[in-house]
Amino acid sequence: MAQAAASAAQSAAPSLSLPPSQFARLQPHAYLLAHLSPPPATNQPSIRANGRAPSQFRVTSANTGSLTHTNGSAVVRLGDTTAVCGVRAEILHTEDIASWSVSRSTESSSAPTNKRRKLTDPTTKPNERIDSKDEDDNESHIQDFNLLVPNLSLSTGCAPGFIPGAPPSTLAQSLSHQILTLLHSTRLVRAEDLRIWYQPPNLGPEDLECHNENEQMDVDASQEDEKNKEIKAFWVLYIDVMIVSLAGNPFDAAWAAVLAALRDTKLPRAWWDVDNEMVVCSDAVSEARKLTLRGLPVSSSFCVFEADAASGWRAVVIPDAEEEKELDDSARKGNQRRWILADPDGYEEGLTQERICVVVDKEQGGKGKTVIQKLEKVGGWTADAKELKALVDISAQRWEDVRRILNEQC
Amino acid sequence: MVGPTATLTPLSRADGSASYRCPSTGSNILGSVNAPVELPARRDALRPEDATVEVFVKPGTAPGGVGERYIENVIKNMLAKLILGREKGYARRGVVITLATIGGESVGRGDSYLTLLPALIHTALLALLSAAVPLSMTFSATVLAVNASGEITREPSEKEAAAATSLHALAFSSKGHLLLNESQGAFDFDTWEKVHARALAICHGTLTRTSDGDVAMAEDVDGQPLEGTVRETVEDKLHQDYAWKTDAP
Repeated sequence: MAQAAASAAQSAAPSLSLPPSQFARLQPHAYLLAHLSPPPATNQPSIRANGRAPSQFRVTSANTGSLTHTNGSAVVRLGDTTAVCGVRAEILHTEDIASWSVSRSTESSSAPTNKRRKLTDPTTKPNERIDSKDEDDNESHIQDFNLLVPNLSLSTGCAPGFIPGAPPSTLAQSLSHQILTLLHSTRLVRAEDLRIWYQPPNLGPEDLECHNENEQMDVDASQEDEKNKEIKAFWVLYIDVMIVSLAGNPFDAAWAAVLAALRDTKLPRAWWDVDNEMVVCSDAVSEARKLTLRGLPVSSSFCVFEADAASGWRAVVIPDAEEEKELDDSARKGNQRRWILADPDGYEEGLTQERICVVVDKEQGGKGKTVIQKLEKVGGWTADAKELKALVDISAQRWEDVRRILNEQC
Repeated sequence: MVGPTATLTPLSRADGSASYRCPSTGSNILGSVNAPVELPARRDALRPEDATVEVFVKPGTAPGGVGERYIENVIKNMLAKLILGREKGYARRGVVITLATIGGESVGRGDSYLTLLPALIHTALLALLSAAVPLSMTFSATVLAVNASGEITREPSEKEAAAATSLHALAFSSKGHLLLNESQGAFDFDTWEKVHARALAICHGTLTRTSDGDVAMAEDVDGQPLEGTVRETVEDKLHQDYAWKTDAP
């Protein structure tokens, strides 16, 4: 018995071939390159080491409403990268905002004229009216009073490089910032959803007069009400993202989680109680309302893998951009070849420097044209206008997939 | 339009330094480079055969925050590709770039650094050249704002940037490659292509092919191309430094 085992070990020992997993660790660049450029004789397709095609994203799944103590939450899985996002709403009284009285005096002069224009122009379509409301100068409330507070945490033991409990790494900080700027620049959350109003009871005698008058008078009365209406507080949304497991591409996962969580967020009905001088919220779930988000911006990230491992430092002659334009992808040979990989995993991220992030949205719920909300490219000179155009098209397809995945939840 | 002005080596203690002033965006940046330096107890020695690039951005009036971490990362990723970190004496060492805003509007929480980005990377480039750090190519950058009616404004002021529907910061290498693109705000790809063409013209001038196939840079409505400004700044400095030799009889 023991002899048999010993002879088996002896026959296995002299083998000099390495299992693929060891080759991947020892020569990561050559390993990925061998997958992407198989010898022409074998007739194998060019495929990434993780089995995906270059423009294929990982399997994505979303699950909303898992955390009961939040106003909205979501878990998004992008392959092995998992992001948990919770949105918690807290009340910010306007009297606690130092600059409130200053900013209100400037806005009260312009706001009524805005409203009057809207009311007296019956020809505008309902859609446009919403748009003109969007252009309200009050939209700056979100940015001025910091009503959206996203934070991303990587100190969860998500990957070996990140020590649990350590202060936020540079990556975590820049991801938090990216989420915040994207929330601001896409104007995803409407400021109107976050306002808590106080409507003082109309006790004046003119109220009785215009009760049974014609429509024009009615409009005047509502205008009068609008004037007396007062913002007493704001909802502040604390958006916390925990990357539970990190295997590359944290931004796409985090942004998808933020998006799914905001779609899931319900705010209780809140009003100003004059007698107690405080904001009171309703217990009833039926009275809580969801946020009405503007569009559905979906982010897709890409990286560029270059065949030449030393392209960054070896003194090679880099061709002019003009010459390179004429060079087709199929005509590239040897070290000039490169591949643009969608949704890179951790292994691929370690081998690439050039990153591209595209955030797209489609007008009118997917029927309109593609709108780019963010286009970021840094760390190399491979992707030029032609490549970026192709990536925008891929991102538009990805938008459809993500919308389907998110809609299955809600 | 008034072009940017730059000074090389205004600081005497640093290995290399530059100050850069862009009148249209109102930004004024002072940058210093120390390279190669020994980094104390580098735990993140992921690539021991390469130099580590570190970038620090100091805002004008406030202590640095998450916005600065983000823009530092962007500048670092861009420059790390251009710096030849495996040249003799650079491996395992550090290239430390410090950029301080000394004029212009400050950037608030959640605001983007896009309007300042070209000034920051131009300062970094000039400071690297002043420190004689080996680079694979030089570059030039600009920022463009597109407003609701589709008009493109070059290097917008803070007010124009706030009114714009989209902002684009682009950097082109000396050979015309797109090195960096940061766009935010809603736009479509056709708009971006127009922005790209305009930015290329600003950075490199309108390319005119002469009969013998040479490509010449020409001035156009945007004045002197930025690539030329960067070049001239360095040439002027060199001329000044070697005046004792060249002007000698």
